[in-house]
Amino acid sequence: MYTTRSLYTRANYEVNQTTLWKMLSEDQCEEIFMTVLELLERTGAEVKNKEALEIFEKAGCWVDGNRVRIPTALSEWAVRTVPSRITLCNRNGKRALSLETTNVYYGPGQGNGQILDPVTGEIRKPLKADIVNTAIICDSLKNIDFAMNNGLPSDVAPAMAEVHAFEALVSNTTKPIVQNVENVAQAQAIVDIAAAIAGGLRELQKNPFVALYIATEGTLVHSDETLAKVIFAAKNGIPFVYNTKLVAGDTAPATPAGALVVAVADVLVGILLAQLVRQGAPVIGGGFFTIEDKANGIKPLGAPEVELMGTGFANVMRYLRIPNFGFAGATDGKLSDAQMGLEAAFSILHAGLSGTNLIHGCGLLEYGLTGSLELIVMGDEVMGMTRRMMKGVEVDEERLARGVIDAVQPGGHYLGEEHTMKFFRSEFWWPTLMNRNRIDDWIAKGAKSMGQRVKEKTLDILKNHRPDKLAEDKLAEIKAIVAKAEAAIE
Amino acid sequence: MASFEDLSKQVITGNQVKVKEVTQALIDEGSAPLDIINLGLIAGMNIVGSRFKNGEMFVPEVLMAAKSMSAGIEIVKPLIADKDMPSIGKVLLGTVKGDLHDIGKNLVGMMLESGGFTVINMGIDISPEQFIKAVKEHNPDILAMSALLTTTMLHMKDTIELLKEEGLHNKVKVIVGGAPISQDFADEVGADGFAPDAASAVDLCKKLLS
Repeated sequence: MYTTRSLYTRANYEVNQTTLWKMLSEDQCEEIFMTVLELLERTGAEVKNKEALEIFEKAGCWVDGNRVRIPTALSEWAVRTVPSRITLCNRNGKRALSLETTNVYYGPGQGNGQILDPVTGEIRKPLKADIVNTAIICDSLKNIDFAMNNGLPSDVAPAMAEVHAFEALVSNTTKPIVQNVENVAQAQAIVDIAAAIAGGLRELQKNPFVALYIATEGTLVHSDETLAKVIFAAKNGIPFVYNTKLVAGDTAPATPAGALVVAVADVLVGILLAQLVRQGAPVIGGGFFTIEDKANGIKPLGAPEVELMGTGFANVMRYLRIPNFGFAGATDGKLSDAQMGLEAAFSILHAGLSGTNLIHGCGLLEYGLTGSLELIVMGDEVMGMTRRMMKGVEVDEERLARGVIDAVQPGGHYLGEEHTMKFFRSEFWWPTLMNRNRIDDWIAKGAKSMGQRVKEKTLDILKNHRPDKLAEDKLAEIKAIVAKAEAAIE
Repeated sequence: MASFEDLSKQVITGNQVKVKEVTQALIDEGSAPLDIINLGLIAGMNIVGSRFKNGEMFVPEVLMAAKSMSAGIEIVKPLIADKDMPSIGKVLLGTVKGDLHDIGKNLVGMMLESGGFTVINMGIDISPEQFIKAVKEHNPDILAMSALLTTTMLHMKDTIELLKEEGLHNKVKVIVGGAPISQDFADEVGADGFAPDAASAVDLCKKLLS
């Protein structure tokens, strides 16, 4: 037997009045959480970092070699003490994203080794200029709330790629940035840059505009470097995403519930370590789930299970009151085609309805191998539609419209009423890419397909959008920090 | 000091109360009634028309603007002899037989009135015979027919043929419009013009009479 069955009995049925996709009931979340606590106590996790092992042991964990078994009370303490909300600011220190409750914010992805050239359509290695373009696109789009690098620059020293990517982003958008880091040296350089912009580390902690992205390998193994980054981020009081990646049926149980248990356990190890280093350290729980496509031997991003498990993860994180990070807006398609539109739209809607706080991944083609600015631009339109649906139907005296219904009378129309005038702009979503022209107008404007319109808008943004620049002295300071880090790494 | 420019601005924003106020102020300050109409009210509505055509303003806003303009006209009207009321032309307007849609047609009527035309709005479900009778009675410069349905739009052709039979087709220009209507269809049935939206209809009528 693999399990010792719990005798917990859950409610069969629960009614939700919400536009949210609350897939798991509170009782199901509780069941998952209890299993996670049992798993951490019984099986534990592999911890490959010496400092972390010492910290865990001192706190009362059972440490045998690299295996750390965590007493339930300690896991529960970590869940209580990790902040239940984090505010990410914009580059000017203005409060921007409230990572709390079911607030939803969208952004691009990372991890792609290639990029689709926005002008030629060629697939090639990303350059630093491509990260600049990503920042400009993110800066201009209304529904993109934060920036990520959408690929690492190949025209800089590889060990410094993340730092250069961050420099490109922070110099070209005021939006909050989620920045992946390879090691502590990179993390230090990035925090130094952010602190220089904010006016010191303390100011950055008060109004953070960057969250570090720290990926764990999944399957209950936490590497030396990964945990060193966690300790660094916690010591510096910088918010970070602790993100696990699981492949159901491969690196995790095939059942979504089982995969969720492993993911939540993974994330709790990072959260506990951060809380032990600095109680109250801000951590965002991240979960990425996919399956193994047996026919092609790839891990799809457009599969329905990605959002299914992502929603379960968001539900459990919400139940535990932990800000969370998920995934949507990517495709297994290879170009701007109908598959790209379908997979991105489905996932953006579902991730939005799941109430995931930070949703990254928009812009990834070809199961994550290639980044596309066009997909980010198209995704922005879908996010707008999703947000309209999530706004739901507001019911109040004025919106119930008793007076105007009586004034118009049966058979009449509402076109010329004050009431219509007041609400028709704000209650309706207005497209920017979806085409609703009459066919004559559409033909007159060149009979363009969605793909063509997306491409044109992308190029137009790159040509015409001018993000707010950093002051000259800050740019010089950043340059010096990058140069110093570069010298230290070589 | 009230100004024509201010009056135009109030028409554009569709503020009925302000339009009335400014119109009255202009009268009290001694502005010529015809100037109030031409330089203030109609000038404002002309801007509304072009913005509507460019997709910068929408039907509800246009209707509010037209309503506020009418409110201004009502105040000025008593000060002008009927024969002096400005009119660029007379338009007979109706939705064809079997078709009960009148929102778009009424919008065209409002825009034409706002553009300085005299409009006789016959309403909906108007048979070719009724159109011919009205043409004889009112002697309009333009006959404008509206249809929303592909099944009723063929009655436009019937009406034009009947005009020809009665020998009236040289005396009145015929224009057609409505969701299923295209320039091709207008040419096919022998209409003198087609406009895709209400603001374009005003331009079309002006062009046909120039």
